[in-house]
Amino acid sequence: MAEEGQVIACHTVESWEQQLASANTSQKLVVVDFTASWCGPCRFIAPVLTDLAKKLPQVLFLKVDVDELKSVAQDWAIECMPTFIFLKEGRIIDKVVGARKDELQCKIENHLAPVQNA
Amino acid sequence: MAVSGFEGFEKRLELHFFGDDPLENMGLRLIDFESLEQVLHAVHCTVVSAVGNHFFDAYVLSESSLFVYPTKIIIKTCGTTQLLKSVRPLIHFAGKLNLTLCECRYTRGSFIFPKSQPFPHTNFKEEVIYIEENLPNNLVYRKATVMPSKNPSYSWHVFTAADQNHHLRRNLNSDVTFEVCMTELDRHLARKFFKKTVDCKTGDLAGKEMTELTGIDDINPDAFICDFAFDPCGYSMNGVDGDRYSTIHVTPEDGYSYASFECVGSIYDDDVDIVETLKKSVQVFKPATVSISTTSNSREVWTKVARAMEPLGLKCRTFAMDEFPAAGIVVFQTFTSTNRRK
Repeated sequence: MAEEGQVIACHTVESWEQQLASANTSQKLVVVDFTASWCGPCRFIAPVLTDLAKKLPQVLFLKVDVDELKSVAQDWAIECMPTFIFLKEGRIIDKVVGARKDELQCKIENHLAPVQNA
Repeated sequence: MAVSGFEGFEKRLELHFFGDDPLENMGLRLIDFESLEQVLHAVHCTVVSAVGNHFFDAYVLSESSLFVYPTKIIIKTCGTTQLLKSVRPLIHFAGKLNLTLCECRYTRGSFIFPKSQPFPHTNFKEEVIYIEENLPNNLVYRKATVMPSKNPSYSWHVFTAADQNHHLRRNLNSDVTFEVCMTELDRHLARKFFKKTVDCKTGDLAGKEMTELTGIDDINPDAFICDFAFDPCGYSMNGVDGDRYSTIHVTPEDGYSYASFECVGSIYDDDVDIVETLKKSVQVFKPATVSISTTSNSREVWTKVARAMEPLGLKCRTFAMDEFPAAGIVVFQTFTSTNRRK
């Protein structure tokens, strides 16, 4: 798929649900970046996310603008931005709130590692 | 007292802008990140962590904090940063968004190591000259004052400037800003802000651990905290609670230990809330000396400060009150601990 290695922006509720559904069946780790165009910290971390997406094509990176997909942002109770929600097989398994580069990287690595007790 | 060391005492700058374009209701938040980086580069600091909500953006910097609201910017930096060099570029970038400066406020305590400060922070007179050179002419009301304390090397420096329309408009504003400066921190408590050498946790995660370990997350349980721990020691956090910010910075080294706590509240807040918040923030550090500067339109809110410190064994040594354009009433109080402990 041409979109591997990139952060995929979901501009409609349909594309959002489609992406989630395909990820659930593939058992891929999904990292969703809830972002806003007027939020400086989101712009600060954007290059980090793009970089991570390039380096980790086995992870599905999605981007949701809280103004474009208001209902989704509300459903997921997003208050601070950026908020990164980690999903696997349809379940929320972790989250990072704020533009925290190290925490984001650390958590992705942890969730990609083969299941063993830390 | 050490001969030299990291300067914990911050310089604080607050700029207010106005504009009449209803579409730009995000105002200063629309300044692109590259431009903000340019401003911070002039000051000699960088962003290490950040978070935003519907009201403002909060950045943890390598040397303190930056808060960006639609019409207000607050930068607070420590060490040997050249904070005032941010004034000109900020006015420039705001101008590109059709925003005009209407109020400027600069405050700081007394440096522990004043001789280590670079221009224009060599002394208050130089700072005032520098700010004035960079302020636009429309800010016609200006005042610079050094508020003294019983200790001659411990004063509170204030400079504010406002334009024709805004020097009195502030009277409708109910904000209260508390700037708390603490020195000679309890050694045992200060140790908690040193990174444990055994685990190489990153700044974000080590910061989170320190927040929980020291009870900082308890000061305002409603706030979301964006924290960071520095190598080999030092800690910073920004708290975000609706449209209110709070911020803590710690220099834990013995000989020049320092911690600051700052928050904004309302003169209509329950007494209990303000008193409890101030008490909890000071109890994290159990300092020997505390200075608290309260800025608001109220001549009474300072009494809550005194009420918060007394039960902690902190005796008031100084009381000074003065009035400034736009900022309103500034009350400066210093306290020293009556609990002699080693």
